[in-house]
Amino acid sequence: MKTKTLFNLSALALAITFTSCKKDDPEVPTPAPVGGAYDNGVFISNEGPYGSGTGTISFYNRSTSGVTNDIFEVKNSYPLGNVVQSMEIFNGKGYIVVNNAGKVEIVDGSTFASNGVISGLTNPRNFLGIDNSKGYISEWGTGGINGAIKVVDLNTKTVTATINTGKGAEGMVKVGNNVYVTCSGGYDNDSVVTVIDATTNAVVTTITVGANPKNIKVDASGKIWVLCSGQYAPYPATNLVKLGQLVRIDASTNTVDLTLPFASIYSQPLNLVINNSKTTLYYSYDGKVYSQLSTATVLNTTATINRNFYGLGIDPTNDYFYGSDAGNFSSNGKVIRYNTTGVAVDSFTVGVIPGNFCFK
Amino acid sequence: MNLFKINLFVCSFLLAFTGFAQLRMDTVKQLSVVEVSSSRQSTFSSGNKSETIDSSLLDQNSAGNLADLLANRSQVFIKSYGLGSLASSSFRGSGASHTAVLWNGFNLQSPMLGQLDLSLIPTNFLNDVKLQYGASGALWGSGAVGGTIHLNNTSQFDKGISASATIAFGSFSDKQQQASFEISKKRFVTSFKVFNHDAKNDFPFINTAQYGKPEQKQSNAELKQKGLLQENYFQINSNQKINTRFWYQFSDRNIPPSMTQNSNISNQKDESYRATTEWQRTGKKLTILARFAYFDEGLKFKDSMINEDSKSRTKNAISEVETRFTITKFDLINIGINNTYSEASTPDYLKNPSENRTALFGSYKVHTAKNNWNAVISARQEFIENKEIPFTSSVGFEGKLFKLIILKGNVSKHYRLPTFNDLYWAGQGAQGNPNLKPESGWAEELSLIHSSSYKQIGWELGATAFNRTIDDWILWLPDQYNSWTPANVLQVWSRGLEYKVNVNYTIRKFKVQLSGMYNYVLSTNERSTTINDAALGQQLIYVPIQNGQCNLSLFYRATSISYTQVYTGYRYTTSDNTSYLKPYSVGNLNVAQTFGWNTLKIKVFAQLNNIWQETYQVVAYRAMPLFNCQFGATVYFNQQNKRN
Repeated sequence: MKTKTLFNLSALALAITFTSCKKDDPEVPTPAPVGGAYDNGVFISNEGPYGSGTGTISFYNRSTSGVTNDIFEVKNSYPLGNVVQSMEIFNGKGYIVVNNAGKVEIVDGSTFASNGVISGLTNPRNFLGIDNSKGYISEWGTGGINGAIKVVDLNTKTVTATINTGKGAEGMVKVGNNVYVTCSGGYDNDSVVTVIDATTNAVVTTITVGANPKNIKVDASGKIWVLCSGQYAPYPATNLVKLGQLVRIDASTNTVDLTLPFASIYSQPLNLVINNSKTTLYYSYDGKVYSQLSTATVLNTTATINRNFYGLGIDPTNDYFYGSDAGNFSSNGKVIRYNTTGVAVDSFTVGVIPGNFCFK
Repeated sequence: MNLFKINLFVCSFLLAFTGFAQLRMDTVKQLSVVEVSSSRQSTFSSGNKSETIDSSLLDQNSAGNLADLLANRSQVFIKSYGLGSLASSSFRGSGASHTAVLWNGFNLQSPMLGQLDLSLIPTNFLNDVKLQYGASGALWGSGAVGGTIHLNNTSQFDKGISASATIAFGSFSDKQQQASFEISKKRFVTSFKVFNHDAKNDFPFINTAQYGKPEQKQSNAELKQKGLLQENYFQINSNQKINTRFWYQFSDRNIPPSMTQNSNISNQKDESYRATTEWQRTGKKLTILARFAYFDEGLKFKDSMINEDSKSRTKNAISEVETRFTITKFDLINIGINNTYSEASTPDYLKNPSENRTALFGSYKVHTAKNNWNAVISARQEFIENKEIPFTSSVGFEGKLFKLIILKGNVSKHYRLPTFNDLYWAGQGAQGNPNLKPESGWAEELSLIHSSSYKQIGWELGATAFNRTIDDWILWLPDQYNSWTPANVLQVWSRGLEYKVNVNYTIRKFKVQLSGMYNYVLSTNERSTTINDAALGQQLIYVPIQNGQCNLSLFYRATSISYTQVYTGYRYTTSDNTSYLKPYSVGNLNVAQTFGWNTLKIKVFAQLNNIWQETYQVVAYRAMPLFNCQFGATVYFNQQNKRN
């Protein structure tokens, strides 16, 4: 009898646990219904968790100040893929570069409905629209050491030509008919900007700059600014052997006409952005954000924002500064907005590891 | 150097004893047929919940690996990256490096990674597996935090000559061959086991992470594995035994892409040489055990897509001497010393590191005459030059209440040393931190087990509640230069309930076994790492809150049918718990039939996995196969020794 009672008690305890566990199912974070258009706002590309995760795109609506996360999967019912690198809008379409998946997802810039895929890329980094039927995609290539520009037919969404560049083709700007490509070294090192004729796809010249140039911007006077992040000592490394540099190129002669060296042997300058009037440059360095006028000939030693960000952006409509904080890199990140005087205005939660901004 | 000095010392020590002992061989009269393994685990662990995966279950899964077996037949959560891919264990909501894996008492955790890939352990190389839940740092040292997996090889004397050969074929071009040969005499046993396994693992799956949800075949998933286990056991005289074991294994695996990645061309090769020897002298009052192990393990990882080609090699020399002394018929004591020397060579560090750890440990056990009640106090202090290592202690008890209930409990301190990667990694964008402290904390558990029988029905019901904190949990985060570096930042609180039920019913030659297990585990992050940390108070990623399983096995004469259904609940994939993987439930069926003629036996078996075609992911965007199966046959031969 005693045995039976014990058996019953145990069964009861088990039953209680099972029923009490029902409420522990995770609360599904239901995304805001998507019907409206993504017309006035900012797309944030979130790299996504390391390893086998997927990146996402978040949208910040300027008029409502609302944020919608993961707008691609919500609309198209499949994830973007591993490591969402960057997004550009060109001729009403969004081009989302998915690095580790070797593809560019094309979406309608307003509805975010999928409009096709450009596949067969190897470590793609950025997209640049050239004309109605042509786009350039920079890529690091196999091993991350074979830089190239893939020429894409935007109508057929296929790669039509490959232009070899220095290692680790990264940032691109178009000045006149020339496209300037920073060669960041990829998983190796390099120190050149490759100049390409956008009509013929031929390499015009190669300009030697500082070590491992990543970001490239054009200022109001048509000069090209290149942020070179510096080079680490041979692997395994603890410090930089070639320090970071901010380099200016005169597009009329394709020569370097100003070199501003950084002092730190530990910190790499990163994330060069420019305001709407193309007169002020911003970048991250030594755990802070610095800014300087495009007319300056020395580096600013006073930080503008005393905070480390993973990605930077400047909203061309109001020159608000956007900084992204990836937190612990395994949970949703944050974007903090600053006004033109450097005062934080507000912040909002986006996806995991927010890295780049695309302003519309 | 240091390593080889120790090596020489222990070898000469063991050889001296052997030589000395051989002189007295003729005086041996009575020898025990069965080698009684009186491990420290069985004698001096008290109050921890434990599970045994016995030889018949290992035999049933003889053509599989340990990760798959534990995922199916234990309460441990196995985080698997796919068929034949990396698999690690999570005991009670802890991480992969919080499980100590001991092969005949020697820790197999890699000093570089702090963990072991359980998919690389072939079940046919093991005689039994014991899962010790909960912390037991005072017994096993670093890493025995969430639980300890004891992989044991045992042997029996005087069984004659036996041999077996197995071939198995499975889905996705899986082919496996195994062979074993053993000579078991009155005073010595020698045995050889070999296996060879290759598979394409190119299973079809629906890629829900791609446009149009295409059906794809898993790519770059081929594996080739082979291994050898050679064991020798000598009964020197009535109270001395010595054994040696040698385990070689080679594995060459391609690593498939995730569903969000499109393609992958990376490859990993693991090669290990493991040699051990143990000497035991059993006296009436005093037992002395000395053991030595030398492990040489290499890992090569190549991914030409990202220009990665890394080779690393680790060497471990473990020496341990322990004594057990029976003080009265109610109490006994265990005192021992362990020295573990580890070194690694890799281009990923500035210089090749080494670590020399010496530990003193002791346990005192008191028990009633019939061993119905026992209690054990244990302590361990480890020493590494210039490092502060926590003193670990534990108290445990077990006892029978009213003949029907076993009550057991344990309070234990635990710790885990930082790995070589944590301490010494030096690369572009990531730096180790030589100032890391060990992770440490306390764990408590209490179990109630009721077992009884009525006529042909026997049953056992068990419930365990546990609580554990891990402080100074090591986490890698970027510093102000955006370089990743580890720090002692997290505090993790885990607590939960575990239930199990076993019922068996026997009528003549027909036997039914029904078992069920269920876990409810909360494992939460209790300290902020950033301002307004959304991960605070949230469940750790890849720790299911709920999992459960049940098994129904039927045995009739030489036929067995075993059905297992495993349920794994939600697992979060981001530390703020905003993304998760859906629960899954997988059903597997194992059928075996044995035919016998005198000295010859043939077993044919079939293992049918995921029979209900569940689409699931254990790790986000890592595809798992739908229905898959394996068929095989084993021929056994046994010639008994002639009796005088």
